[in-house]
Amino acid sequence: MHLPMIVLARVGRTLLLMLFAAAGTILLVRFAPGYFTDYREMDTKYTQAAQAEIQADAAQQQSAGQIAMRMVKSWLNGDLGQSRQYGVPVAELIGARLQVSALLLVRGILWGWLLAICTALPISGMRKGGVLWGLPFTVLLAIPTAAMATACILAEVGGPVLVLSLIVAAREFKFLRNLLEGAWRSPHLLQGRAQGLSPRALVTMHILPNVAPQLRALATLSIVTALGALVPIEVIFTVPGVGQLAWSAVMNRDLPVLVAVSLLMTAVVGFAGMLSSRAVTLEEA
Amino acid sequence: MKKHIAAAVLLLLILGAALVLWLSPYNYAFQDRDAIMAPSTAQHWTGTDELGRDRTVRVAAALLIGLTGATAAAVITIMIAASFGLLAAYSPPAVAAILMFVSDGFLSLPWLFLLMMARSLLPLTASPLQTAVTTFLVLAAFGWPACARAIYRGAAQFRTAEWMIQGHACGLKTRQLVRLHLVPHLRPLLLPQFLICVPAFIVAEANLGALGLGVGEPMPSWGAMLLELENSALLARSQWVYLPIALLVVVLLILESFTTEIEY
Repeated sequence: MHLPMIVLARVGRTLLLMLFAAAGTILLVRFAPGYFTDYREMDTKYTQAAQAEIQADAAQQQSAGQIAMRMVKSWLNGDLGQSRQYGVPVAELIGARLQVSALLLVRGILWGWLLAICTALPISGMRKGGVLWGLPFTVLLAIPTAAMATACILAEVGGPVLVLSLIVAAREFKFLRNLLEGAWRSPHLLQGRAQGLSPRALVTMHILPNVAPQLRALATLSIVTALGALVPIEVIFTVPGVGQLAWSAVMNRDLPVLVAVSLLMTAVVGFAGMLSSRAVTLEEA
Repeated sequence: MKKHIAAAVLLLLILGAALVLWLSPYNYAFQDRDAIMAPSTAQHWTGTDELGRDRTVRVAAALLIGLTGATAAAVITIMIAASFGLLAAYSPPAVAAILMFVSDGFLSLPWLFLLMMARSLLPLTASPLQTAVTTFLVLAAFGWPACARAIYRGAAQFRTAEWMIQGHACGLKTRQLVRLHLVPHLRPLLLPQFLICVPAFIVAEANLGALGLGVGEPMPSWGAMLLELENSALLARSQWVYLPIALLVVVLLILESFTTEIEY
């Protein structure tokens, strides 16, 4: 298949997945107990007529299909709707927080990768003791994100970036070590070693160019790992980002915000997956 | 060898936890109002929490509840994943593509976000047992897509395997083919998925609990016990507050070691 067709097919698939995620979110929220509960019904300052109007308005929005149709129409007009809990446009709400989360993600992924690659490179070349040196990463992998974040707050050390980088590093270290161990054992590396090439030359001239496509694929998948950790980290450190907004939206059944966050996350995961598979395909070609 | 040591330590932990629950005069919900936030004493070996509940008993119960719940959820997940993966592998390509698209749909959202969304939309004010069951059912209901993909890939290869064609040629019925050939070949595929799911579910429960979306009080769970770490008054009084997190890490390391042995 030609390159534009491949790209088009993958973009189409990602868009379909976004629609699937949005439909799933609408269904989940629509059938959640208490979705139609409106705090205004408990407020005595609203007259009976006003409350009847509120109930009539809610009754009109009852079907999941109607909710979906209304949302799609407003998305096509560039309107993401209005937040139920904050009463402000969703685009405005997400736009303000997107930069905070994006910055946290970028810094967390970069530091995580730096840590993982700087430790995996020498450890993968070791003949003995590799497992022992890799033990801190194994322990990090066994600590839930929330516990790691709480521990950081208690110890007054680091912050959200540190926790996110440690999570990314712990996940990627295992893959990187396996990948690099394979590279160190390859016949041309043995030949290079036998010819007396320095470890630095082996790494820069042979190992890194050979594993580059897999590294690129792994790097894009780090985005998914980091996105998953974003919610507990932002909630525990009270970072005003998209993860905290998502948590607040699910706790308050704020459907427009929740659907917009789901769409955003699916888009990021979809395009990250697309880039990773694209990188491998290009190298294979 | 390492696997056997890990299994023995895990078994000892489980037996120890069961013994604590059996021998202790307190149950996990009992509140000793005279020993609130108590340090280690003869009555409460590892102290008590802010409601005067015995920490040893609660940690033991959390360990058993977490392991039982995660194992049960992993069994359900593997059953769903195996059914889904096999259905896709033995369906026409168009149906398989649709089924795999559905599984990709679940995978297109970060898992913890999906779990958080699903769990928070289910009743949070039910009885503690109901919340525990709901939490682990949510884990089971959303944990299958990645496993289904792996099973689909493996089972699709079995479809054209020589032993399968031979079985067909010998006139074996579908039921016999599944029982005699497919299931034994699937076992090495299902076991690693199961072993990966158990620690993943324990971690997910702990994260959900720390966000206030896990097992309801007074039932102890890893997530609820992690919330204790946010109580600075409790931290200042006793170092035993760190016991749950330490034990959780040990349990997860043991469980991770099973998966590592299989991977290598």
